[in-house]
Amino acid sequence: MVYSSLMFIYAFLPAALLLFYLTPKRFREEVLLIESMAFCFLISLYFLFFMAAYSFVNYLVGHIIGKLRKNEKLAAVPLTLGIIFDLIMIFGFRTKYFAWLHDMLHAPEGFYPVGISFFTLAAIGTLIDIYKGRVKADKSIVRYFLYIMFFPRLIMGPLLRYGVFTKALDSRRESLTNIGIGMSLFIKGLAKKVIAADNLYMLYSAVRSSDVDSLSAATAWIGITAYVFCLYFTLSGFADMGTGIAYCFGLKFPQSFNYPLLSSRIKYFAARWQSQVVQWIRRYITKPLYGVCTKKWIREIVFVGGWTLFGFWYTVTPNGAIWGLLMGIALIIENHILQRKTMDFTGIIYTFLVVIFCAVFLSGDSLGFSVQYLFAMIGGNGVIADEQFFYLVKSYIVLILITLYASTSLFRNMIVRSGKGNIRNTVAVVSTFAALAALIICTALISYSGSSEMLLINL
Amino acid sequence: MNKLNRTMSIVTAVLSLSVISVLGLMSFLGEKKFWSSDENRQLTAFPEPSFNDMYNGSWAKQLDSYATDHFTDRSKWVYAKNRMQVELSESIVNGVYVGSERLLDTEVSGQDKKVFSDNISIINAFEKNYDGTTYFVAVPSSTGVYGDILPSNFISRSDSQRINELYEMLSNNIRRIDAYNILKMMKDNYIFYRNDTKWTSYGAYCVYKTVIQKLGFLPTSYDKYSIEHVSDSFRGDLYNRTLYDEVKADILDIYNYPEGADVVSCERILNDGSFSEGEIYDRSRLASSDMYSMYLGENVPLLRIKTSVQNDKRLLVIKDSYADCFIPFLIQHYSEITAVSPDQLDRPLGDIININDYSQTLFLFGINNMDEKMALEKITERI
Repeated sequence: MVYSSLMFIYAFLPAALLLFYLTPKRFREEVLLIESMAFCFLISLYFLFFMAAYSFVNYLVGHIIGKLRKNEKLAAVPLTLGIIFDLIMIFGFRTKYFAWLHDMLHAPEGFYPVGISFFTLAAIGTLIDIYKGRVKADKSIVRYFLYIMFFPRLIMGPLLRYGVFTKALDSRRESLTNIGIGMSLFIKGLAKKVIAADNLYMLYSAVRSSDVDSLSAATAWIGITAYVFCLYFTLSGFADMGTGIAYCFGLKFPQSFNYPLLSSRIKYFAARWQSQVVQWIRRYITKPLYGVCTKKWIREIVFVGGWTLFGFWYTVTPNGAIWGLLMGIALIIENHILQRKTMDFTGIIYTFLVVIFCAVFLSGDSLGFSVQYLFAMIGGNGVIADEQFFYLVKSYIVLILITLYASTSLFRNMIVRSGKGNIRNTVAVVSTFAALAALIICTALISYSGSSEMLLINL
Repeated sequence: MNKLNRTMSIVTAVLSLSVISVLGLMSFLGEKKFWSSDENRQLTAFPEPSFNDMYNGSWAKQLDSYATDHFTDRSKWVYAKNRMQVELSESIVNGVYVGSERLLDTEVSGQDKKVFSDNISIINAFEKNYDGTTYFVAVPSSTGVYGDILPSNFISRSDSQRINELYEMLSNNIRRIDAYNILKMMKDNYIFYRNDTKWTSYGAYCVYKTVIQKLGFLPTSYDKYSIEHVSDSFRGDLYNRTLYDEVKADILDIYNYPEGADVVSCERILNDGSFSEGEIYDRSRLASSDMYSMYLGENVPLLRIKTSVQNDKRLLVIKDSYADCFIPFLIQHYSEITAVSPDQLDRPLGDIININDYSQTLFLFGINNMDEKMALEKITERI
């Protein structure tokens, strides 16, 4: 089950909300855990077992580290073992080289633990935090299980540190207002996924289905642009849906994406794109290394290494790593060259071009393919624009215009900057009905297959 | 947050939750149908709980499609989806190209090379054990004939190539009959349905003229028939997948030959050997969701047609649904025709009939069905 399915929106979500609000306040955390387990069960019973076992192992390791913490060297042993365990899980299920692991765990055929890229990072981060003494190993097993299994963040939801998560639980505020904010956020995410991402995916796959040797330059450009937008709308759509549902239960989670595609510097893009994962890498990998390395150029290499890892985390292939590497290098170069503030407009253009250029490597199956694709983008196949390009533009023009607009913060800025109260009021009233309309449209769009499954990247 | 924003949030909460719960409850409490006449398919039933299915997730998956299939007013939602999809993206809905003139299937077949060659070797094995003459007709789908109206990146799929491939793999003793080029030449005529992948009766007639000559008879000329339009509201499998109703509905024809031979009996033989009387044209099917089954009636494993022709010639036809509107043209030439649908058989064909009672066997299949598993092996078992 995914958030963008009829079953979730029209059966699971209302039932979960009803149960939650009917329970007395002190038991609501337990109810959330039960609901999260039900969510896992509706993927498969095996997934539920897997998640329970996985959470339990990490809970146990966390406690052992907490007990041994006085002796730092001794505590490092369970920490290392715990991290190795988590890494084996993430590589075991995300790559195809660990068939023995599947057999050993008696996993059903084609089993893929949804959201494994996120909850393993969360588990590793917590172990390190306990080791460093930043958080205490929690006595409450319910909270820890909820942290790993919490259904609004299970599928590509926001990645949170344990401390942030428990703080959100502590300051839970259930109110009708919050449900309203949560529902509109959820619908926004749903629309991003169902209206934008799914159709952009069709555009991208239309380009990918033709031969890269004969791709015209314009077609190649439109294809890779569709890929970048599709990736953005998929990831931020899921993050928004998760954050929105959490809001409905009174939990306030931070944002993951902040309109990255309209940034005037690569630096800003990097800070706004999937910020929680970038922060995770900085907190647990690059920052500790900075402390060791004093020379600036070594720190820069570490920085690039962190980005390479981020890219690798996306696809678990060399291609993703190349994407990260290029992004990291671009950031360093920009840092050296661009000291002054650039013009907004030229900045936006150049950032976008760099992002597009790097994304060619993220999207390709192999380095060779990506190079060929780049070649096609600069007109290497000898055709600037062909029939296919005009056909695609003609077919997708409505979608392209909508998504271009929706990916920018222009609309939000217009509201914030307009001092006039009545514009703001109008927007507040209209957005309610816009949200309802979007809900109806999305329902229709997923009505045929019942859900809009994850595409592009399996995280 | 100011007061208005807070109020509007509450309004959003109340409205969206009521929409969700009303639609959810309507789906939950609504009448559960087993059959969707718009989509012409069986709807998913509520899954039986079993530990194994729950364990590997297939129970959850089935529950999901149960919820999807029984979502309130599903057909209307799907219709709305398809209209929007055409605006938002390419005119391709659930794998069907939506043109102004006709719907075309764009799903690339020919993926399953193994099943394709397995099916062909079964046919070759059949021929080996058979004393009579074997003929094969592979029929293109509407995409094969009208594919040039598709956007350029779909042209790579070619029915003619696949028919050639198939004909090359057939054993030399099987006589191949070319339907593709006949149909391609006639493409300005009404030879394929606009809302279905299959050919029309007229398309079948054009191919019949060649086929029957190869089988050793003179074809009945077109002007001898009196053609009856039995329906002008037929919408076929491509409509079922898109529910797109802007394309003109199709016409179903019956070709009557008043001076020709009559059908004496038409036996529908089931797997257990029991039989009932059927009809060449079962008009009662016109009221059902599957109007095309008017030809030869509902699909049965075996259909034995006896005619008033006095020549003691018997023909065995092994076929899929493409042959349903084709077989009526053959009645004028044989005293007995037996049509076998391998996908309906659950026991070896040899248990029901002796193939060597027939001096000729005609295989007639849509090229796109050749890479699907259709229990074809039943025709060679135990002979």
